[in-house]
Amino acid sequence: MSLKDAVLGVAMAVFLLMVSVVVVLGGTGWTPSTEIRPLAKFYLENCFNVFNRTWWAASPEAVTSMLWDYRGIDTYYETSVFFLAVIGGVTIFRVTEAKLHRKMDDVGLSLIVKTTTRMVFPLVVIVSASVALHGNLTPGGGFQAGVILAVGPLLLIAAFSRSFLEENLKLSKDRCLIIRSVGLIAIALLVALPLMAGSLSLMQNQAKPWSQALQLPEAVGPIWTSGTLLFFNVAEFLAVGAGFTLLFLLLSAPEEELKRAIGL
Amino acid sequence: MTIESFLQICGYLVLAAIMAISLYGIVKGRSLIKKLIALTILGDAANALIVYIGFRFGAKYPPVLPSLTPAPEDISWFVSVAVDPVPQCLVITAIVINMAITMFLVFTVIQVYRIYGTTMVKKISRLRG
Repeated sequence: MSLKDAVLGVAMAVFLLMVSVVVVLGGTGWTPSTEIRPLAKFYLENCFNVFNRTWWAASPEAVTSMLWDYRGIDTYYETSVFFLAVIGGVTIFRVTEAKLHRKMDDVGLSLIVKTTTRMVFPLVVIVSASVALHGNLTPGGGFQAGVILAVGPLLLIAAFSRSFLEENLKLSKDRCLIIRSVGLIAIALLVALPLMAGSLSLMQNQAKPWSQALQLPEAVGPIWTSGTLLFFNVAEFLAVGAGFTLLFLLLSAPEEELKRAIGL
Repeated sequence: MTIESFLQICGYLVLAAIMAISLYGIVKGRSLIKKLIALTILGDAANALIVYIGFRFGAKYPPVLPSLTPAPEDISWFVSVAVDPVPQCLVITAIVINMAITMFLVFTVIQVYRIYGTTMVKKISRLRG
């Protein structure tokens, strides 16, 4: 390690320390106070204020109500960024399905691992579905549930093989793309719902003072749906879960086939 | 200075040190894989810093109201004990973006390895054609 490297490292450390100091002093001071910031106070007070429903999001979970209601457009664009990353991966690894089905070995890991995976896989799916469906009431939501869901196919790929996933579960690359597109189209439709109902606002969960065109009910019978929040969570759950499954399927593709596809 | 505030400052210093080391790894790493690992560490440290800023003394609960039929005093109690939800909301999108970017970079690095046979930056830059 030369002197230049050492100077570089120290300079980076000082720079990052300065950045951290600026962020910390701007945000909290050296130690966190006991007071809550005005912005957070607004969200905490209004996200489930059943007594003054002007600004409410109909969800007792402040993070979900911010994610899909107060800062919903931001989450929408963030979903688009994720979609672009998946598209980028698919474009780099362009392989056709027919080529991949040749020379697929079906060995996998030992019997113990396979049996355990058979027991764990349904649990993973159930847990992810419960996290998605309760996302507007308890900690969790579409992103977290989608990532949990993607663990299931990843386990199956590791314990069995990629062809097991494609032949027994019929979960091929194209199907994942279709599930993902269905989730994204559902999100886009939910975003455009108030626009179609004649309001000029996008992504409206509960009626606001300036636009009362359309409002989904906060509860359907005994099920608390929080307006659009439950549907957003389920659509995002499908989109993220299928997107990551698609990426895992591509990453587990046989090396020879991929090399042949790019002409090496 | 109380022990809590001392530990808070220590936490900030540790996070700043992790970020500095990972930034050094991104710039000086010789293999693309090592650069990628350093990048994920930097992203996670930044996310941890943001969540850390959301903490306040006296807050004991996550920002989830535990009742669907709250009384007015429940909501004021909730405001007085819940942590700041804004950083958590920022971080959840940042984590997913971070993961997506990491996946894309993994794909790119694998393709680079497949075509050039190496992930060492200096060897790749010396290649022609």
